[in-house]
Amino acid sequence: MGHKELMVGNKAVAYGAVLSRVQVTSAYPITPQTTIVEYLADFIASGRLDAKFIEVESEMSAQVSVQGASWAGARAFTATSGPGLLYMHHPMMGCRLPIVMAVVHRSNKSMQPDHTDLMAQRDTGWIHLYCENTQEVLDTMIMSYRIAENDRVYLPVALGLDGYILSYTAEPVEIPDQDLVDSFLPPFKGRSAPHPDMTIEEWRANMSRGAGGYGTQKAWIDHHENMMAAKEVIVEVDEEFGKVFGRSYGGLYEEYNCEGAEAVIVAMGTIASTARPTIDDLREEGKDVGLVKLKTFRPFPHDEFREMAKRYNAFGVIDRNISIGSGGVVFNELRSALYNVDDKPSVLGFHTGLSGEEVTPGMVRRIAEKTLEAARGPVEPLVEWV
Amino acid sequence: MVGEEIVTSGSTSCQGCGHAILARLAFKAFGRKTIFTLVPGCIWITLSRNIPLFSTGTVFEGGGALVSGITNGLAARGIEDMNVVAFYGDGGTADIGLQGLSGAAERNENVFWICADNQAYMNTGGQRSGATPKYAQTTTTPASYIRRGKRTKRKNLPFIVAAHDVAYVGTASIAYPSDLVGKIEYAKGLKGFKFLHVQSPCPTGWGFSPSDTIKVARLTVQSGIWPLFEITEGNDFRLTYKPRELKPVGEALGLQRRFRHLTDGESQEIQSRVNGQWKQLLEIDGKRLPY
Amino acid sequence: MIEIRLHGRGGQGAVTASRLLATAAFLEDKHSQSIPMYGTERRGAPVTAFVRIGEKDKMVRSLIHEPDYVVVLDSLLRKTVNITEGLKDDGMLILNSSVPPEEIELLKPYKVATVDATGIALETLGRPITNTAILGAFVKATGEIGLESVIEAVKQQWKGTLGEINVKAVEAAYEATEVGDPKIVAEVVGEKAPAGSRADWRTFRPVVDLEKCTGCRLCWVYCPEHCIEMVDDKSVIDYAYCKGCGICVEECPVGAIEMKSESERGE
Repeated sequence: MGHKELMVGNKAVAYGAVLSRVQVTSAYPITPQTTIVEYLADFIASGRLDAKFIEVESEMSAQVSVQGASWAGARAFTATSGPGLLYMHHPMMGCRLPIVMAVVHRSNKSMQPDHTDLMAQRDTGWIHLYCENTQEVLDTMIMSYRIAENDRVYLPVALGLDGYILSYTAEPVEIPDQDLVDSFLPPFKGRSAPHPDMTIEEWRANMSRGAGGYGTQKAWIDHHENMMAAKEVIVEVDEEFGKVFGRSYGGLYEEYNCEGAEAVIVAMGTIASTARPTIDDLREEGKDVGLVKLKTFRPFPHDEFREMAKRYNAFGVIDRNISIGSGGVVFNELRSALYNVDDKPSVLGFHTGLSGEEVTPGMVRRIAEKTLEAARGPVEPLVEWV
Repeated sequence: MVGEEIVTSGSTSCQGCGHAILARLAFKAFGRKTIFTLVPGCIWITLSRNIPLFSTGTVFEGGGALVSGITNGLAARGIEDMNVVAFYGDGGTADIGLQGLSGAAERNENVFWICADNQAYMNTGGQRSGATPKYAQTTTTPASYIRRGKRTKRKNLPFIVAAHDVAYVGTASIAYPSDLVGKIEYAKGLKGFKFLHVQSPCPTGWGFSPSDTIKVARLTVQSGIWPLFEITEGNDFRLTYKPRELKPVGEALGLQRRFRHLTDGESQEIQSRVNGQWKQLLEIDGKRLPY
Repeated sequence: MIEIRLHGRGGQGAVTASRLLATAAFLEDKHSQSIPMYGTERRGAPVTAFVRIGEKDKMVRSLIHEPDYVVVLDSLLRKTVNITEGLKDDGMLILNSSVPPEEIELLKPYKVATVDATGIALETLGRPITNTAILGAFVKATGEIGLESVIEAVKQQWKGTLGEINVKAVEAAYEATEVGDPKIVAEVVGEKAPAGSRADWRTFRPVVDLEKCTGCRLCWVYCPEHCIEMVDDKSVIDYAYCKGCGICVEECPVGAIEMKSESERGE
């Protein structure tokens, strides 16, 4: 079943688009996502992918053109990175079309990665899925279309992979057979897709199943409800993916080596990979600290963290981001999720890895040890830069 | 004027709105197998609900990309027989929309772009745009003894688009409906990027009586302020309306409050520029433009 | 605190009237708010604006739902807009109307003031812009604001001749305003208009002389509202949708269409 190939994260994205039988793609070269565009162009030129490639003049147009294609009933894909993502902000806001976009994280204060780019799109109403390795990138591409196109959801997905660390690092990836992917991901049936033989009344009736209420507060309410419904769908899709392909990622989050842990650290993207062996080492040393890898940032798993709070006495949240003037985005959201639980655990914040600063196993160890200490008694400071 | 009436009565456009006349004529020519798209502006706010066709809209700057996405999305589904129409104003075409227009034109996307040009941001209260003519008063270019309205000429939009070597470029006026409809009927059959720049006088923004919309449109054509022409097959230029003699510009300008402050010298400047431009257009009439 | 709601149509200056009233109150050392209905104003379309006058620390930031006074700048609007909606029981209506208060039909015994603001505006300004005339009526009928303050506000708004003729409109309306009691009826008969009707946008209506009409279809071609049908080669106008722009009158090559004033008596 399938075959293995050594490839970089960007190629895994492009492979994911091929296997998902993307019909229209559009992207503009902003490094470090540039090679995604090149791989896709190659796949199309070689006949491996039967898709229209709109060679747009900007990221804003990349975003709007895939929205147009999706509206017209085609499965659409785009990719971008830091500054390009920021330029897409306006058309992303409030979009309710099931497109998938790979975001190769890149700081706006350097060429190097951090999560500030996608965090700046926090409130645009997209599903945000963060990946930690190349296999997960490819698999998440395929899952993303199943999630986005689900009738209970029908929302766009942004798939995050850390620039350079994932985008340009090669590792072996298992590429599933097309037949298997086809059985998992049926062709896209767009709600708003026009057809020359369709009456306007039929078309309107079809479309109004979802995104209604433009111009009213109800549009925000509906969008939020669909987003919250996505939590269930993400878990279902991940489970089904596991059954079909033998790999799964926990859906919203994954608890790694957490059994009997007093404390957990919370990490996203490639930091989770760096944390795994460190956590293994700590457990071997008899230190009861585990890892929660947060895969789905939007919708945010509030209830799930509340459940976890019954088991762990401390959470050490690693934020590869900062909301300037407030602090770590995940730290703040997680703390607010736990406000109403009895016996509140300690929540510590750690900023690290911004503008591509390297995050090493040693740093993760320090974070984990401090979090464990917090499970047993008060520690200072609550938030620090590592 | 044959063709099914598509636009319905009861829109909320201003009395005497040029866009309303244009929409009626244009969609008669396009017919039912048409998708029209919107960016923010008077058309979206006041007219779109009275155009019962497939439609969607996007951000102000996204018009060119939206139609590109739609035509490619349809093509990917094997649908090639629908008109994909960009029905935008001058802001969504000449200013904030120019980047996307240029991209779509350069790719020669199979779409039909109609610029309904009322020469300012009328939906937001009449601020100047890149299509506002020189000396015109707008809410951001008031005239006083220090300032004389807009300081610079408007962009030469049809020639900007023509420089992209597209399937069709034309200008039209709502006062010449046969010319307008004929151009749409001809060009909609061509594959590639079609652009029609239609002047759409705005009684509210230009300051004339709502009853004079057609009169103002006609006088600007007859005086050479708004020449009617088309550029086919990339560079074949042809005037489609050639009066023996142009009327003086004063008659058209005099009806519009936005030009009420003009001095004789300023009117004369407009007149001589129009004369010069008309002479140049006559010289290239029937000829091939350089690429 | 007094709260006022103004009804007009785009182009009549309801928003300016609310601004002038607020300015006049401000000139009398009162705190005031002039609030336009949020949204885009279209020439001809019904427009609502609001004024609040009172103490600074009582100024809420919502629209006005239970006004003390309702001011109507257009003589036909009361047939299509529910102008008494939310009006307090002891509230008063100030109407642009050529008929005396006793002929105004209402469900409740509100006080009513009427003035032929359109007539006064045409006489003083030469155009049917009724915002300044109606303010003269407001001052006379309510006494809430001094005449001098309104005149000063008008002068601040328009310098020179334009200010002077608007002051004349205020003064003429002040003199001509009548206050009285309306005719109480069991039901106010409004005009039954189809959905999306734009009949209440008109000040004038085009009327076709079928004798003169040659059936050339030019009015049909140019009508922005698509509300002219050719019946037996004659132009027939659908008044439910006609906004009264007058393009058909201007473009008719044989002068077969004429603009006639809309009458509130509905002749």
